[in-house]
Amino acid sequence: MEKARISAYQLFVLMYLFQLGSAILIPLAIEAKQDAWLAILVGMIVGVVPFFIYYSLYQYYPDILPTQYTERIVGKMFGRAISLLYILYLSYLSARVLRDFGEMLLSFAYPETPLFIANALLMFVVMYTVRKGIEVLARTGELLFTLMILLAFSGLLLVVFSGLIDLNNLKPMLEEGLKPVIKVALTQTVFFPFGEVVAFAMIFPYLNHPKKVKVAGLLALGLGGTGLALAMAINISVLGVDLVSRSQFPLLSTIQSIQIASFLERLDVYFMIGSIIGIFLKISVYFYAAVTGTANLFNVKQPSQLAYPIGIIILFLSVTIASNFSEHLEEGLKLVPLILHLPFQIILPLFLLIIAFIKRGKGQKEKRVQRESAPRRGEA
Amino acid sequence: MPSFFKRKNVTKTRYNQKSGNKEQSPEKKPGSIGFSLSVNLDIIKQRTGNSTDIITRHVKIGPNYGLKTVVVYVAGIVNEQFIHDFLIESLMKDHFLQEDLNLENAAEIIVDDLVALSSVMQISEWNQLLLSLMSGDTIILIDGLDKALSVSTEGGEKRAIEEPGAQVSVRGSRAGFVESLGTNTALVRRIIKSPDLWLESMKIGKVTKTDVAIMYINGIAKQEIVEEVRSRLNKLEVDSILESGYIEQLIEDQTFTPFPTLYNTERPDIVAGNLLEGRIAIFIDGTPFVLLAPAVFVQFFQSTDDYYARFDMATALRLLRILIFIISLIAPAAYVAVTTFHQEMIPTQLVITVAAQREAVPFPAFVEALIMEVTFEILREAGIRLPRAVGSAVSIVGALVIGQAAVQAGIVSPAMVIIVSITAIASFATPSFSMAISARLIRFFIMISAATFGFYGIILAFIMLLAHLCSLRSFSVPYMTPLAPFILANVGDTIVRFPWLDLGTRPKLISQKDNIGQGETMKSQPPENSGMVTANTGKGDGNES
Repeated sequence: MEKARISAYQLFVLMYLFQLGSAILIPLAIEAKQDAWLAILVGMIVGVVPFFIYYSLYQYYPDILPTQYTERIVGKMFGRAISLLYILYLSYLSARVLRDFGEMLLSFAYPETPLFIANALLMFVVMYTVRKGIEVLARTGELLFTLMILLAFSGLLLVVFSGLIDLNNLKPMLEEGLKPVIKVALTQTVFFPFGEVVAFAMIFPYLNHPKKVKVAGLLALGLGGTGLALAMAINISVLGVDLVSRSQFPLLSTIQSIQIASFLERLDVYFMIGSIIGIFLKISVYFYAAVTGTANLFNVKQPSQLAYPIGIIILFLSVTIASNFSEHLEEGLKLVPLILHLPFQIILPLFLLIIAFIKRGKGQKEKRVQRESAPRRGEA
Repeated sequence: MPSFFKRKNVTKTRYNQKSGNKEQSPEKKPGSIGFSLSVNLDIIKQRTGNSTDIITRHVKIGPNYGLKTVVVYVAGIVNEQFIHDFLIESLMKDHFLQEDLNLENAAEIIVDDLVALSSVMQISEWNQLLLSLMSGDTIILIDGLDKALSVSTEGGEKRAIEEPGAQVSVRGSRAGFVESLGTNTALVRRIIKSPDLWLESMKIGKVTKTDVAIMYINGIAKQEIVEEVRSRLNKLEVDSILESGYIEQLIEDQTFTPFPTLYNTERPDIVAGNLLEGRIAIFIDGTPFVLLAPAVFVQFFQSTDDYYARFDMATALRLLRILIFIISLIAPAAYVAVTTFHQEMIPTQLVITVAAQREAVPFPAFVEALIMEVTFEILREAGIRLPRAVGSAVSIVGALVIGQAAVQAGIVSPAMVIIVSITAIASFATPSFSMAISARLIRFFIMISAATFGFYGIILAFIMLLAHLCSLRSFSVPYMTPLAPFILANVGDTIVRFPWLDLGTRPKLISQKDNIGQGETMKSQPPENSGMVTANTGKGDGNES
């Protein structure tokens, strides 16, 4: 663990951009049709549960990384095995996001470019940033956040003033009742993007005011979810359900349909800036979590030394995890939520939390006498 | 051979000796001044290699002119008028004071009664004597006395205070720093008349012994940063300090960065303003450029006019400057990206025009941009070194050959000429030269990434640049404060400027904590009984019914 401290605001910014990251680009929760935005909001509310699991674990062990506390909870061997699995999971996810982005970039702007090159460029910037540590990542996030907000607001204004929004596209609400909405929320949006904040378990211990983690996290979840829901609602109201579900990148289509005063048009670069910022932050957070976890697990003194080697592994992984984009999407939609997200985001953390709770309960009874006389650490 | 030669290498640090001198035992140490005047003079001649600008003036003082005395100084760096009027003349003429002058009390009487100059110091060490001689002091040696008197007579030709050349402002003081350290510190003292304005001096450079002074306001500047500046300066072991650029590069936090992490300025009002924000000024003798530490990124886009003008104008201008900086970074890169990768982004008619222009050009857009940019850099570099008489020749060559003729010859397209001109003008609009010059370098890096990957490359280069900026620190203060880490209380004076009344707090990471710059109580308002609403109220309750 490097000697660094980030503020609650920085955590909020990172979490917010992290959630928007890739989720804002794709037709998220479109299985719920015109109620996609509702599915996102429901997913967000349910997504508070996994966040609280990570948060409670963090409260038990506020000073150490998850790779350390797994050892304390389930013993050295199992703990290390679980940590290793988590590192692989985080690396795999960063490779996935990188692949997603590379494919998107090639499909809409650079059809002739090899995927590897497109990925390599972004990965190089990510490695450069992560090598400098969490503080630099957090500060960069703050600047990019401002830029993103500016983009979002001006984009929103442009969409509104170009008169594209047709609210009738969002009707009828709850056509088939609540069931499909909740089904989509529970099978998709809880895990992606809200459950993915599991990566932040690796970042919580860097907070300078541990008490503010809850506020920052919930705020980021809330605003991130609202932002995503808003974006999706705008997509659907501009393009209609049909177009959105058939489009790979509905946000791009929405932006491309902006046309004001016959010179503000073809604003693809808007989309490109926004998507690169989001994706950059998302990969960086996953990647940072993987790097710092590895360094912690294998007792590497300087996590920054691992940035380039692990980064190159992720880069190659991003090209080799699927032989083409359809396969990649298929894996992402069918397999990953079930066999990766569910165990790693819910089951394992819950399992750890329960054991930690039981252990803590036992220990607390013995220590209660001492505790009451001495002030608690957290209050100091 | 005189014994001091053996000590020559040992006595390097003057400062340790200075404090040690008083405790020295009375017996002769090597390196100390001897009793014999002629031997002493020989030693001076020997150590200075018989330099011809060292003037020795023999006088005899005391009753019956019994005491042989020599006044030594270096011509040109002293105020000879002072030496004649207040030193030599009083030594020779004030006989009634000299009646009971003898060897034992000679030094005291000269110091107390004879020399009519402000600072006189007793010296017994050779190294110290030579140093003060070389710094412009006048040395008085008396035969039979193993001490010397050093009279402060620094002077010589100095440049007068003029308007600064590089940092011009519309409003505000016209004074600029000069080459003399004493004048420069005085210029700041004239602005901040507070006893808390503290000054520390040191000499840096093993050969040049350059005077360096750090100035800060006690109680506002952070003690840790002052300590850090002091220790970094004291650590310097170099031969020479010829300009503040030496110090800037020797004490900065990170060497491998194109961005300046210390601010330099020629203006006393900028120094004063920054001292009041808790920064530390480093004055270096021999240069009009004063360093300010710690520096933050936004500082380089602020000019004094921002503070003197109304806040709305200032804010608009600051935002404009950021825009200009971005233009100077990415204008050629964006042209390359648009013409090579994203033709769809510009209106169709313009695409056709640009394509038609570029039809005649044999090079890809990147090469075209590179040619023009390099040409412009050549012009600019040549322009700095040109003798004045041929200056106009270059502007003619620049305007005709690079502009008109290059287009007609089919080497570049007219659009490219426009882009390069905009970039050139933009790069001159950044208030700080050291920031503008770093943009020159980065521009080429961004151009390369634009040539390979269009806007994707530009955006990635930009994110990398941001990450790099965020990783920089200046005296342990993050370079991007107060934007990242975001400090709400200090945002008022960054790329925007709030009204003075709302700028209540000093920079949090730079100055001492819990320090409010200004009170909130001074807000002035128009008197209650003026203005439209209450204008018709005479006596009474103002109710018409």
